[in-house]
Amino acid sequence: MQEVLRLQNLQKSFGSVRALKNASLTLREGEVVALLGDNGAGKSTLIKAISGVFPIDRGDIYVRGEKVSIRTTREAMDLGIETIHQDTSLAPDLSIARNLFLGREPVNLKWLGVFAPLDLAKLRDAASALLKRVGISKKLDADALVSTLSGGERQSIAISRAMQFAAKVIILDEPTNNLGVEETHGVLRFVKEMRAAGHSVLLITHNIHHVFEVADRIIVMRRGEIVAEQTVADTDLLSVESLITGADLSALMKRAQ
Amino acid sequence: MRSPQFSSFVILIVLLVVFAVADGNFLSPLNISNMMAFLPELGIIALGMTLLLTAGEFDLSVGAVFGLAPVVVMLLVQNAGVDIGVALLAGLLLCIAIGAINGVIVTKIGISSFLVTLSMLLIVRGAALYITQGFPLKSWDQPGFFVTLLAGSFNVGAFRFYTSLWWFIGLSLFAVYVLRYAKLGNWISAIGSNRNAAVARGVPADAVKVWLFILTSVLAGLAGMISAFRISAASPVAGTGYELEVIAMVVVGGTALTGGRGTILGTIVGALMLRAIRNGIVLVGVPGLAYNIFVGVIILAMLILHALLQKSAARSW
Ligand SMILES: Nc1ncnc2c1ncn2[C@@H]1O[C@H](COP(=O)(O)OP(=O)(O)O)[C@@H](O)[C@H]1O
Ligand SMILES: [Mg+2]
Repeated sequence: MQEVLRLQNLQKSFGSVRALKNASLTLREGEVVALLGDNGAGKSTLIKAISGVFPIDRGDIYVRGEKVSIRTTREAMDLGIETIHQDTSLAPDLSIARNLFLGREPVNLKWLGVFAPLDLAKLRDAASALLKRVGISKKLDADALVSTLSGGERQSIAISRAMQFAAKVIILDEPTNNLGVEETHGVLRFVKEMRAAGHSVLLITHNIHHVFEVADRIIVMRRGEIVAEQTVADTDLLSVESLITGADLSALMKRAQ
Repeated sequence: MRSPQFSSFVILIVLLVVFAVADGNFLSPLNISNMMAFLPELGIIALGMTLLLTAGEFDLSVGAVFGLAPVVVMLLVQNAGVDIGVALLAGLLLCIAIGAINGVIVTKIGISSFLVTLSMLLIVRGAALYITQGFPLKSWDQPGFFVTLLAGSFNVGAFRFYTSLWWFIGLSLFAVYVLRYAKLGNWISAIGSNRNAAVARGVPADAVKVWLFILTSVLAGLAGMISAFRISAASPVAGTGYELEVIAMVVVGGTALTGGRGTILGTIVGALMLRAIRNGIVLVGVPGLAYNIFVGVIILAMLILHALLQKSAARSW
C-alpha cells in the first residue's frame, strides 16, 4: 500500500516540557492506525503538529513522499489532512450548515474576498445532502444551531465534515469520549467507512476494545516518544496494555497463575 | 419571535408609546430631529462594537478616541496650518494605529481586551487632555466639502436631519450585510463562538480581530469628527463615558457579551432605545440627576429579559 503521510523525528517542547521527542511514524493509504498512550504521552501534541495548530520545533513531514511544511491549519487542510480535535471542533452558535463549511464557505462573487456573499442555497443544499449521506438527515436540520445538538450528534457533524472534503488523512482525537453506546458505534462505523473509501485514519483512543474492532495497526507513545508499533493481528489486549503503561502485564499475569 | 432583537424592538415601541403619551412634544418634529442628530454619533460606534463583541472582544477606548481624533485634527489645522483634508487623513491614520495596537496586544500577547483597552482609554484620554492643556478647541466651522460630508444638514418637511444619518444608515446596511451574508460574518461569529474551532478550520482569527479593533477605532474617530463639526467645537473630554453607553446599546439589542451571537438590527434598536430613553425621561420630568438611575434600571430589565428568553428557548429544545 502506498505511503500517505510520513513523520520523521518530530520534536516539540512547551517551555521545559518536551512533549514530543523524535516521533516518527508512517501512515499508508486505506489503513486505520490507532495511536495509544497514557494521558500526557504527547498524542494530542503530535496530531496538533500535523494539523498545523502550532509549528513543530524540528523534524520533517512528508505527504505522499513529498516534503512539506505545515505551519497553519489551512496548510494542513490544503494538503488533505482533516482533524477532529479532542476539544470540540464546532462553533455552537452557528448552524450545522455554516459549521460544515466553516473556512471553506461556498460564495458568489468570489473576487469580493472576505466580503463575498455566502451562497446560502448551495450551503444549505450541500449540508442537507451531506447529512443524508452520513445517515443523520432524518434527525437533523441543516439550519439548526449546533448548540442544540447532543455530544454524539456534534461528533457526527465533525466527522462528516472531515469526510466531505475527501481528505487523504483523517485524524480523530478521542472521538468517542463522552458518547453513549449507540453514538460510539456510529463513530466506529464512520471510521470503517472512511477506510473503505480509501482514506487513512489516525485514531487516538483510550478504549482498547475499539482498537481491536477497527484498527489495522497500533502505535504506542510514552513520554513524548513512540515506543512500539505493531499490527493488530500480531498482538492482544494484554500486551497492548502493558505497552501503554510500560509495565509487563502479561509477565505479571503468568507469574500470578 | 423569541429572538432578542425582536423582544428589544417590542420594548422600544412600548417606550416610544409611553413617552409619546406622557409628553405631547416627544414626537414633535423638533424633538425627533434632535434625537436623530445624536443617534448616529453613538450608533456608528455601536456598529463596530457589535462586530467586535460578536468576535468575542470589546473596546473600552472608543469614547477616548471619539475625543482625541477631532482634537488632533483641529490642532494640526489651527496650530500647524495643515490643510483640513490632510489633517483628517492624519486623524484617520491615528485611529487605525490605536485600533491596531489594541488588536495586536490582545491577539499576539494574549492580554484580555478589557485590560488592554482600559489602559488605552487612559492613554488616549490623557493624550487629548495633555495636547490641549485641557482646553476645548474651536472646531472647523468654515463651510466646505468635509463639513458638508460629515455634518451637513437638510430639511425634510418640518424635520431637520444631518448627513450623519446617511452615514449611520449606510454603515448599518454594510454591517448587516457583513455579519449575516458575507463570508467574513461567518468567520466573526465562529471566532466569538469557539475560537479554536474557527482556527482549526483555517480561519485567520487573530487577523480578523485586529481588523475589527481597527474598524471600531476608526468608527469612533469618525463619530468624534461628526460631532465636532456639528457643534463646531473639539473638546478633549468629548465622549467621556461613551464606551459604556455604546456597549449598553449593543447588549440591550441582544448581542451576547460572551461572543458568537451578534445582531446589527438589535444594535440599531438598542441605539434608538437608549437615545429615546435619555431624551424621553427629560421630557417626562425626571430630575436631571436621576437620569442614570432610570437608564440603568431599563438596561438591567432588558438584559434580564434576554436571559430569561434564552433560558426558555434552551428548555424548549
Ligand atoms: N499548549 C501547551 N502548553 C504547555 N504544555 C503543553 C501544551 N500542550 C500539551 N502540553 C504538555 O505536553 C505533554 C503532552 O500533552 P498531550 O499531547 O496533550 O498528551 P495526550 O494527548 O497524549 O494526553 C503534557 O505534559 C502536557 O502537559
Ligand atoms: Mg489528548
